[in-house]
Amino acid sequence: MKRPGPLLTLLAGLLLGLFMLSLDATTGTRSASSPYKEKSPGVTASPTPSKATASPSPSPSRKAAAGVYTGRTDDDSSAVAVSLRGGRAIAYFCDGHNIESWLKGTVKDDGSLHLTGDHGAQLNGTLKGGRQIRGTAEVGGGHYAFTLDRARKPSGIYRANSQVAGARIVGGWIVLPGGRQVGIVTRDGKPSAAPVIDPGTGAVTVDGQHLTAHPVTP
Amino acid sequence: MTVDPNAATQSFPPSGPAHRAPGPARYLVPALVAAAVAVGLGVYGKVHDPTGTAFNLAGFSSTGAVKSWLASTAFFFALVQLVSAFMVYGKLPGPRWAAALHRWSGRIAFLVAVPVAVHCLYALGYQTYGTRVMWHSALGCFFFGAFSAKMLLLRSQRLPGWLLPLVGGLVFTVLTLIWLTSALWFFRTFGVTT
Repeated sequence: MKRPGPLLTLLAGLLLGLFMLSLDATTGTRSASSPYKEKSPGVTASPTPSKATASPSPSPSRKAAAGVYTGRTDDDSSAVAVSLRGGRAIAYFCDGHNIESWLKGTVKDDGSLHLTGDHGAQLNGTLKGGRQIRGTAEVGGGHYAFTLDRARKPSGIYRANSQVAGARIVGGWIVLPGGRQVGIVTRDGKPSAAPVIDPGTGAVTVDGQHLTAHPVTP
Repeated sequence: MTVDPNAATQSFPPSGPAHRAPGPARYLVPALVAAAVAVGLGVYGKVHDPTGTAFNLAGFSSTGAVKSWLASTAFFFALVQLVSAFMVYGKLPGPRWAAALHRWSGRIAFLVAVPVAVHCLYALGYQTYGTRVMWHSALGCFFFGAFSAKMLLLRSQRLPGWLLPLVGGLVFTVLTLIWLTSALWFFRTFGVTT
């Protein structure tokens, strides 16, 4: 007589796994913003944007525009990344030393992007076929042209907020395809090159303190 | 009635030709299933595009914390497994229900580990960008293969006495390594948070 117990155990594990997978597949996007308590500029962790993604998007061009695009400026001085979702856009421009800007804006139905940031920073671009963004940015008095390619996780924009030894710490990172990173940590408004984050978990050590950088989505 | 002390003990009916164990299939089937499970999980984790996010439990700050606590729960029951296994084999004094304890702690450990693995594979995928990550990915896939083999071997009778403890010990060791490279690392990196 063969024992059915072990087989039932395996079967139960398989069913549980499939159940969790279907749960992830159906609700994964919706809860995407919930683990991230910290608010990025323009990223309101309200349930409103998630509803927009959960329901089918009215325009196919917008639907195709969801995702993250990364690349470097034409002069190779800085990295640029744009994250799109539900017709909204967030961008991070960073040279890895002292020039950075967070920008937010919208994606029009024709695929054009218009984003603005602090201190008059601007970023304009055009989506090309859902695979590429070509555009220009004005940040810190400089004018840059860039081409961004659609990237897969863990490439993208990451941000960390914290208080270390009384100083306000804001970190921003662009993880490029191939694992290269460009980032800046600002301590009480003073920018400097950022330490490397673990793109899988967002773990990073700033001034001896363990922080978590979270992926940024609109 | 006299009992021949030299007679072979019959813990199960003598095997007739129809009841003969199917030879190498006893080992081959679990081994092949184990390989298929491990490779299948690895390929899925490698091929599909990790989403980065997944279903999160309420009351936890991050999926990392949820997973670390679930993994720690699984590890705790794995320790129960180790102790109860020694009891079942009579190497430690134990209660009569040691076998039941072993079965059920194993089931709980396995079922608790499944959601963690699903999240790992679905949201993070099979990654190799660091030593810890590489070992965790490889061992995570290996674990579910080894566990499947253990479960299937349990169904076979008349295995060599050393086989189940060996495979069981392997499963326990691998789970320990997985826990060390994930949950322990998480708690050391982010602190023991919920």
